[in-house]
Amino acid sequence: MISFRYREKRTVIHKLNPFCKLAWVASVFVLALVLNNPIFLLLLFLSTLLLVITAKVWREWTSFMKYAIYISLTIVVVNTLVSYQGTHVLAEAPFTIPVMGTPTITLEAIIYGMAMSIRLLAIISAFAILTLTVNPDDLMLAMIKMRLPYKSVLVTALSTRFVPTLISDVERIADVQRSRGLELDKCSLPKRIKRSASVIIPLLSNSLDRTVQIAEAMESRAFGSGAKRTFYKDIKMSRMDIVTVIAGFAPSVLGIVMLILGFGDYQYYPTLGRMDLSGPEWTMLPILALVVSSVVFLAFLKRGVDLD
Amino acid sequence: MIRIRDLTFYYGDASKPALQGVNLQIEDGEFVLVTGPSGCGKSSLCRCLNGLIPHFYGGKIAGGMEVQGLDVMKSTTKEMATRVGMVFQDPENQLVSMDVEREVAFGLENLAFARDIMAKRVEESLDALGLSGIRYRGVHELSGGEKQKVVIASVLALHPDILVLDEPTSELDPRSAEEVLSIVQRLNDDLGMTVILVEHRLDRVVHLVDRMIVMDEGEIIADGPPRGVLANGDITSVGAGVPPLVRMVRRLRDSGFDVDDIPLTVKEGRAILKDVFRGAKVSELPKTESTNSGEPVIEIDKLWYAYPEGLTALRNVSLRICRGEFVAVMGRNASGKTTLVKHINGLLKPTKGKVRVAGIDTQKATIAELARKVGFVFQNPNDHIFADTVEEEISFILRNLGFDGTEMAARVDEVLEMFGLKEHRRQYPRSLSGGERQRVAMASVLVASPEVLILDEPTRGLEYRLKSELMRFLDRYRGEGNTVVLVTHDVETVAEYADRVVLLSGGRVVVDGNRRDVLSRALFFSPQINRLVQAFEKYGVPNNIITVDEAVDILK
Repeated sequence: MISFRYREKRTVIHKLNPFCKLAWVASVFVLALVLNNPIFLLLLFLSTLLLVITAKVWREWTSFMKYAIYISLTIVVVNTLVSYQGTHVLAEAPFTIPVMGTPTITLEAIIYGMAMSIRLLAIISAFAILTLTVNPDDLMLAMIKMRLPYKSVLVTALSTRFVPTLISDVERIADVQRSRGLELDKCSLPKRIKRSASVIIPLLSNSLDRTVQIAEAMESRAFGSGAKRTFYKDIKMSRMDIVTVIAGFAPSVLGIVMLILGFGDYQYYPTLGRMDLSGPEWTMLPILALVVSSVVFLAFLKRGVDLD
Repeated sequence: MIRIRDLTFYYGDASKPALQGVNLQIEDGEFVLVTGPSGCGKSSLCRCLNGLIPHFYGGKIAGGMEVQGLDVMKSTTKEMATRVGMVFQDPENQLVSMDVEREVAFGLENLAFARDIMAKRVEESLDALGLSGIRYRGVHELSGGEKQKVVIASVLALHPDILVLDEPTSELDPRSAEEVLSIVQRLNDDLGMTVILVEHRLDRVVHLVDRMIVMDEGEIIADGPPRGVLANGDITSVGAGVPPLVRMVRRLRDSGFDVDDIPLTVKEGRAILKDVFRGAKVSELPKTESTNSGEPVIEIDKLWYAYPEGLTALRNVSLRICRGEFVAVMGRNASGKTTLVKHINGLLKPTKGKVRVAGIDTQKATIAELARKVGFVFQNPNDHIFADTVEEEISFILRNLGFDGTEMAARVDEVLEMFGLKEHRRQYPRSLSGGERQRVAMASVLVASPEVLILDEPTRGLEYRLKSELMRFLDRYRGEGNTVVLVTHDVETVAEYADRVVLLSGGRVVVDGNRRDVLSRALFFSPQINRLVQAFEKYGVPNNIITVDEAVDILK
């Protein structure tokens, strides 16, 4: 569980400006939505790996991706089972479901499902990188600088701060109730719901107590005293930082260009489109990889500049 | 200076006052200890001092409060925060940031200080508490003691004149508690800061303070220099944990010995009691009978345990506990105590080795099956309590274990009677007092009449009266042929009640023996009385006395 949390590391990626990383994540998100071609999507996903490796968060990243893989597999399976479009029929059921038609498994549905999961993996990977390499307090500061209201940002930050506490609360209370003979897996559903109250109720009332205590502690340190707040740390914006932020937005620009040119699109249904590897579209592949990972090169460059 | 006149306060719609007719004046630079049973009003008093009452907690209030010349009722949060710093019990619930530096700066940010002043103040505060080494660490990576120090630093950064600490050590292990207290003492000594400290482990603090206030039912019932207050008779009845040394001197005075002063530390005790021990004819200590001869009920054989994340918590632990034994499991934090006892009721299963309880191999039994033999009481009764009535709470385990209606009713009646909870049977358990909730939690486990009872730090943060009530109950339960395994840090309790002490370190059993052998002649690990008599060995006093009773008996 611990591995989901941000940890201070001194890599070039960690030292990148938080705005740059926010811009980059937004860009990956845009690209993931704009691109349709599975090869392009796969390349987008692979390009995010460069950041993972440079930031040395491989282990933490994998534990994020473990969950993402489950979701991806579910997407592939569900899409294959419910989407009967496509001309390459691999199997056909001997019966018909009203409205939906005859269940068939088609190559198109499988490929489409896989492309969707790669799209999802790319997005999750980018967000994982953000959570693992930006100090939550810096993220909060960045949000405030983007004119989001301080109190809402603080509440969000506080709730993430207490997630691990909540998890250990659940584990502890579950131990207490299991010691009192609670066996959720062995009883019927209505009973199970009723008995899980033995874990949920102490959890909720403990959390309520906790909330009051936190509020009390914050009030005692003059929180909400009316004055406009200052911030101990600031996000410094050097010229180099501005360059990195621009680099963070670059993939979005590329995405829009590709959308206009009609590159990176692909036809799944009714028949898988032919990929013409000689077309000008494919020259975009290395450019895409380069633009998405440009922040890594800039990160190293920034270190060089910072050292001067 | 703090001046409180005829202060009475009722929370929300409470019918009983939390504070009643409190009159108090505290001078600059005083170190004041406030103690008393839970619900006596000590926390409410603290909340008044920085205006949380009446600004944060609404209610009915009468009387006047003046802190540093400010009328608390009319002052703002901002004005109070820079005059009175507050530290609460659980550090976990006071930290709002992810890293140490920013946490320390939190109050300064709220007060809109300029960045250069903040930098200076953060630096000083970190320095004052020796936290510079961990300034960049994430708050979640810190130990409980370190967290509490960060909280104190963040309060100090506001440069308050008065520091109020409401049971700052009760969530900490003894070593961190000592550390936090010595920091508080230094702030009082070196900076002349006024300190108001709520604490129920008196032996840790009485020698540090100038003044001691005892409260009960919202009123101040004793107030004065600690020696005077401790010498006075009626504070034991309200549940303040009088240090063993003081209890001993008072017992000696009662039986006619001439002891002219009350000792607050072992060093003072040795000076004051030297003549008593030198002059007295010392009788032999009665031989302690070994209880480790009955039929074994818990058999742990070459137990290894590694957590799924890979940390090895137990290394080759072998232990045989017999029916009717009272065993204390002690050791530093993370020494494997809790991991060990969780094997006894099957919450954890051995990675290697065997655990048998009442003849059942825990590997082959479910936790529910073991629940008929082994009861497990956790530290916080609030983790137990979920039902709408006390009765339902107690019968939960019986319903889970498939008892039938008539037997269930009979058993519930029996434990309600036993724990004095009869008149509360239809009440909502969370609305009960701390002590009553502790009894409900105990009853809800003991109703299944287990042969073995495990308690994981039940005395942590528990006031003296409730603690001795709990221990007397355990003694009786053990007397009926049952077995008690108690995980604790509390040396004084172990000295008085356990027969056997198992000391763990780094997941291994390092000492396992009779409490007398384990607890005597150690440096800081020994109870107060033993540390006292170690100096009197030359007068023929046995050096393995560990309780007040023994010390008094030997002089008769």
